Amino acid sequence: MAMDKEQWGTRLGVILAVAGSAVGLGNFLRFPGQAAANGGGAFMIPYFCALFFLGIPIGWAEWTMGRYGGRKGLHSAPSILGVFGKGRFFRYLGVIGVLIPLAVSFYYTYIEAWCLGYCWTYLTGGIGVNAAAPIAEQTARAGQFYADFTGRGENGVIAAGSWGTFIFWVITFSVNVWLVYRGISKGIEKFVTWAMPAMAVCAIIVLIRVLTLGTPDPAQPEQNVVNGLAYMWNPNFEALKNPQTWLAAAGQIFFSLSVGFGVIINYASYMKRKDDVVLSGLTASATNELFEVGFGGMITLTAAFIFLGTSNMIGAVQGGSFGLGFTTLPVVFAHMGWFGNVIGVIWFFMLFLAAITSSISMYQPALAFFREALGWERRSAIGLMVFICVVGSFLVMYYSKGGIFWSTIDDWVGTFLIYVLAMVQIIAFSWIFGIKKGLADAHHGAQIRIPWFYGFIMKYVTPTYLLVVFAAFCWKDLAGWVRQVSDEPLRQGALALVLGTTVVLVFCTFFGERRWKAAGLDIDGKLPLPDEKGERR
Amino acid sequence: MTALGWVFMLVSNTFVWGLTAWCFYKVLTVPKEITEPPDTLGG
Repeated sequence: MAMDKEQWGTRLGVILAVAGSAVGLGNFLRFPGQAAANGGGAFMIPYFCALFFLGIPIGWAEWTMGRYGGRKGLHSAPSILGVFGKGRFFRYLGVIGVLIPLAVSFYYTYIEAWCLGYCWTYLTGGIGVNAAAPIAEQTARAGQFYADFTGRGENGVIAAGSWGTFIFWVITFSVNVWLVYRGISKGIEKFVTWAMPAMAVCAIIVLIRVLTLGTPDPAQPEQNVVNGLAYMWNPNFEALKNPQTWLAAAGQIFFSLSVGFGVIINYASYMKRKDDVVLSGLTASATNELFEVGFGGMITLTAAFIFLGTSNMIGAVQGGSFGLGFTTLPVVFAHMGWFGNVIGVIWFFMLFLAAITSSISMYQPALAFFREALGWERRSAIGLMVFICVVGSFLVMYYSKGGIFWSTIDDWVGTFLIYVLAMVQIIAFSWIFGIKKGLADAHHGAQIRIPWFYGFIMKYVTPTYLLVVFAAFCWKDLAGWVRQVSDEPLRQGALALVLGTTVVLVFCTFFGERRWKAAGLDIDGKLPLPDEKGERR
Repeated sequence: MTALGWVFMLVSNTFVWGLTAWCFYKVLTVPKEITEPPDTLGG
């Protein structure tokens, strides 16, 4: 059996890798839009509640389960959840932990390629927005460039002639595969240890530039930095009475922290037995929050407000994350003169780094799973993973019209299934494995202690909070989503792709289960861990 | 910006910067594990 003997080289490496996985486009583009639309500063109340009651506890559970599974020689969500859930049912539910990162990677590398493509375009002269034209014309120009570049106008537009985007995707995908092929320590860890500080430097440069913009147009004195910050941070407490605000905050924490995604459980399985998981988990979460609140919350909407003013901000926020990042901000950069192109390069390079540190984390769980389940060597397992990803990404790029195909995968896999996996994980950890045993294991080698009341939170509050959020989400959105799928063949195609991928993963789990049993691995979690002397404890 | 706007912005930013700084301080100043040197001289 091809056993995975990889390990992280340093403690900082695994922290930066998990933080890199969490910090993505959503930190800079999704968070500010969500906050501004749901109460501004008041949004931070449900946001931090979700962080303390959902994000951090589920994260600690995932880190602990991953390290525990690694000590039993297991590295994939199906095998590790089989141990914590003590049987087949949770093992097969664990397939979701491989499906989510794999299916999300189908479209994520495509979006990552946009960031690289925009960075290159700014490096070579910008996207052609004329700052002297009326704002509506500038926005239309930026919107047209975005539609052409991403193929939103027509299906197959990329295959039919927009080779630029395709070439950027090939570069992006190749770099991802190369990093994952090099392995945990030599590939992923080595990359994130320079990419994360580089991303922070880029963010600080942009933040300083935005906060020192003052009042760039004396004819529009109300369009200044303080009013830009006010647009984002002035609280509207009425919003707290709306359940949608609490739902949006919980959703943002989920998507942002990479919990319930199947990545942390895999990354933590490569930790050494005495490595700390409590402080490491908290540090990774804190780093993500720094990028989200400290940078995303201060940069994006402030810059947009200063140059576009109140009247254009409503459209900018309603345009969603991608409208804000790829249509509104290019208009803002055009108003910064020649320096706008420099900021454009830095901004899109930063987004590219944020995206690639996330995308490499999406391939590693699938690679580990194929090696573990099929007993294949790294090269063969990479081959299977690349084949599945190329098929998935080609379909996403071919059916590019309106972004319907990939946004369907994002809805059902990147949103719906994340709640399901988070629930599966917290139930397996707190109820089946046992919260006392789980926290005791988390404290092995821990530099700080998890506060005592988190036992209660992880057992009762987190599952209840999750259930309420999930029920509210189903009540509010699910019927509409189902209707959209039944009305739209493209959406049906996207779900067929997800279903096909699921079938492959279930078959692999079936074969893996037989192999693991034959190899004598404790896949049902019946035996305690051997201690350092090799005795069971 | 209203006074409450300043409060929410400053408290949120102080919290995330402070927590991140504290966490990295703890991670980077972890005491090295003391390993006993082998007793090569036999006494």
